[in-house]
Amino acid sequence: MRMGFAGWVERVVKKSSKSEKQIPHPAKVAGIRDDRSIKAGALMRLPALPLSGQAGRGRYRVVGFALVVALLGGGSGARAQKLQMPAHEKVVLKNGLTVLLLEKHSVPMISVAGIVKAGGLADPVGQEGLASTTAGLLRKGTKTRTAQQFAGDIDFIGGSFEADAGADYSSFGAEFLSKDTAKGLELVSDALLHPTFPQAEVEKLLAQSVDGVKAAKDSARDVIFEYYQGYLYNGKGYGRPAGGDENSLKKIQRDAIVKFYENYYTPGNTIMAVAGDFNPAEMKKKIEEIFGAWPAKASPAVKEEAAGSMKGKKLLLVNKADATQTYFVIGNVGVSATDPDRVAIEVVNAVFGSRFTSMLNEALRVESGLTYGATSFFSLQKEPGPFAMFSFTRNETTGKAMDMALEVLKKLHTNGLTAEQLSSAKSYLKGQFPPTIETSGQLARLIVRYEFLGLDDNEVNQFEQRIDGVTPEMAKQVIAKHFPLENLTFVLVGKSSEIAPMVKKYADKQDAKEISAPGFWAGTK
Amino acid sequence: MKSRWGRRVALLVLLAAMVCVFRASGQEYPVATKTLKNGMKILVQTDHSIPNVALYTFYRVGSRNERPGTTGLSHFFEHMMFNGAKKYGPGELDKVMESNGGSNNAYTTRNVTVYQDWFPRSALELIFDIEADRIRDLSFDPKKIESERGVVASERRSSVDGQNEGLLDEQLWATAFMAHTYQWPVLGWMSDIEHWTMEDLKHHFEMGYSPSNATMVIAGDVTPEEVFALAEKYLEPIPSHAPPPPVTTTEPAQLGERRLVVHKPAELPLLMIAYHVPQTNSPDFYALNVMRSILFQGESSRMYQRLVDKDQIALDVESESDNAFDPTLLLFLAQPKQGVDPAVCEKAIYEEVERLQSSPVSDRELEKAKNFRLAEFYRQVRTINGRANTLGTYEVFFGDYRKFFDAAKNYSAVTKEDVQRVAKVYFGANNRTVATLVPENEEKGKP
Repeated sequence: MRMGFAGWVERVVKKSSKSEKQIPHPAKVAGIRDDRSIKAGALMRLPALPLSGQAGRGRYRVVGFALVVALLGGGSGARAQKLQMPAHEKVVLKNGLTVLLLEKHSVPMISVAGIVKAGGLADPVGQEGLASTTAGLLRKGTKTRTAQQFAGDIDFIGGSFEADAGADYSSFGAEFLSKDTAKGLELVSDALLHPTFPQAEVEKLLAQSVDGVKAAKDSARDVIFEYYQGYLYNGKGYGRPAGGDENSLKKIQRDAIVKFYENYYTPGNTIMAVAGDFNPAEMKKKIEEIFGAWPAKASPAVKEEAAGSMKGKKLLLVNKADATQTYFVIGNVGVSATDPDRVAIEVVNAVFGSRFTSMLNEALRVESGLTYGATSFFSLQKEPGPFAMFSFTRNETTGKAMDMALEVLKKLHTNGLTAEQLSSAKSYLKGQFPPTIETSGQLARLIVRYEFLGLDDNEVNQFEQRIDGVTPEMAKQVIAKHFPLENLTFVLVGKSSEIAPMVKKYADKQDAKEISAPGFWAGTK
Repeated sequence: MKSRWGRRVALLVLLAAMVCVFRASGQEYPVATKTLKNGMKILVQTDHSIPNVALYTFYRVGSRNERPGTTGLSHFFEHMMFNGAKKYGPGELDKVMESNGGSNNAYTTRNVTVYQDWFPRSALELIFDIEADRIRDLSFDPKKIESERGVVASERRSSVDGQNEGLLDEQLWATAFMAHTYQWPVLGWMSDIEHWTMEDLKHHFEMGYSPSNATMVIAGDVTPEEVFALAEKYLEPIPSHAPPPPVTTTEPAQLGERRLVVHKPAELPLLMIAYHVPQTNSPDFYALNVMRSILFQGESSRMYQRLVDKDQIALDVESESDNAFDPTLLLFLAQPKQGVDPAVCEKAIYEEVERLQSSPVSDRELEKAKNFRLAEFYRQVRTINGRANTLGTYEVFFGDYRKFFDAAKNYSAVTKEDVQRVAKVYFGANNRTVATLVPENEEKGKP
């Protein structure tokens, strides 16, 4: 809902050195983009684009989540040897709610991260943004609190509560000091169990969301992936905007929100992780008291449509008449979060596009100065999410930079990886991993996501050995299989009058859109 | 100039086997410090919970130390610090660091340039070698200067041309300051980006990069002993020289409201209001932040309640400020909803400011602000990265890293009267600069 403020948010985050966002964000593995949907301003590994108050070098800070050392219990002076997922316990309440408890005492805080197994894919066609709106309204009025009272109560304890939806699922998250555990949990349960969706709040949030989309369109970087997903999946499945667009948000009615909530927000359809400074026995008791009251009910399963990779070439040019720089994405459908090749892909992509010395960034930034940054990522979701190469350059060099990106991709296929590149990527990924599982918030989001995806602690415990186990042969296979050369989707946001002639050559099928036209890409028959 | 950056007698706090028991009662984050013979100060905060290290080097040089014609040079120089020195040539620094499991970044503000390294503890000595190499023997390859110029130009296109709030922010500072060097953007004006020379870079290096002008903060899986030994080996031999000349210009008091308008194609308008406020180490720092919390933090804040929730005239409201050595700006930002005249948001904001000036805040609001600040402390302290950055920031801007640990206490001491007083002193009409971005879509003939 704060799309247009992405730049500001980034600046605040950087300045205050918050290493993680407060908004519940599905876990991701270092080196591979891994969120539920590509959200405005939430791009991993994009260079930070600060305002004039602070200018950075725009490195791709790895912001993934992952493991922590097995040294809980506090206060040991010993040095950690092996990284391990901290012990955590899974409890299924009688009503079907899955609860994961992870004790961690590094700071006196509690983090809650939850998943409700229905997201944007469960939105009726034409009402994209319904899951996201439903989540956004959880705190906007309950049986005992108005939206203002809820805000007053969570703010008073210095805490936070956020909820949103991606394509695969809706998520909620909260954080508060451990001295306020009772109040914090009660607020989470109030939002989750007792929302009333007041009509006035529904209208308010929907109006804000529509304007949020418009504000985001003032920054190409904030919306290019919405266009890309829409165009790549031709407006179906992951190609439907989970946050909605100017058209779909206007069609959402309160009745549909209530129905979405009643269908999907049930204990059996929900996983909730609580991590932080607590005594597990006491916490379990509290949770049973508070969340055990949620009546059991069956939820319909959400139909997930897996999309195969797209055949052929196509190009969408979104006209932003005042652009001095063209933003472009090139890619195809990638892999799912549980793909057996995921670790090898992560290693290859570190060489190709995810780190600063990647082939893409070396060519487009370091060697030629064409851009502030060039990167590539795989968006890891339940079903195959997009693979994308991304960069931006001034209008005149649009063709040159795109040619170069394609050349680098070709070079990856022709030359493969050297032993040195492979070894460097492995060291890099292993070295950058531990800080991604440093806090209780990171861990809560990680374990809840693993539970949703059916992954286990070996994602963390065997991380190093899996990385080490990637052979040159595996890398070669992964390049051939997952880095498409011929079948490519191109999306550009830029000044059409200057760049259209330059980009004709990339695809026979060409489409065009004005950025101010409502929606992103709803698909063609 | 800050006299507190003078050399200090080496203070070596020996901390044997580190015990970090971070409990609510008696938070303990021991910090060991040492000042090298060349004047560089080192802070070490040990934490073995992950086998990693965050290393921050703060140089007290930023765009405030620049001159017209070479604005943005500090930031460009920051980029050049990664482009080759004597031992690690162009491109080598990044390659070596990443292949040893490390990554890096840097940021430049109006006041400081900060270099960040994140790496597994096994790379500790290598990182010292790299940092020493570039502080001692940075080289300037003419080819790299040209390609990096393109990178910075692209960065500017992204964050100013392509971000309305970046564009408006830049114009706001340029209007609010007429004398002090805070007036130009950290990124620099595009024409200056196009004209920097190698001589300018060399001069900047000599001016800003004396070891005595730097503070290094290391948090993570290290001991003070090993860090200090490496610092003595790699950094101490680098000779010190004169720090940057003092910035002597004082911005004259603003005597009346200033306004500016930007017309450009846009979906939505923007509003920013800037007030002159004192430098970071002013005694009013805490009261100003409490005031900001009451006005802007959380959905129960006064501005959110008024503009976003009740009047429904804005999509979002925020407040911004940056740490500064000299008197600086505190910004209010509002994103008006489509079709809402920014003047309507502006009026609502002033009414809320006046309410703050005319009557004291409630006990609950004051306590809420303090609770926010306490939670913020734990959020900053819970990662090695947060600790390195925050300890360094307090050391550099307050002159003492220990002020970080006193923050919650200092916020607790703020009274309702303090909040009302700072609201009255700093948030008058004469002290403000108002910037609006008005959407203009010529092709569609929108207003």
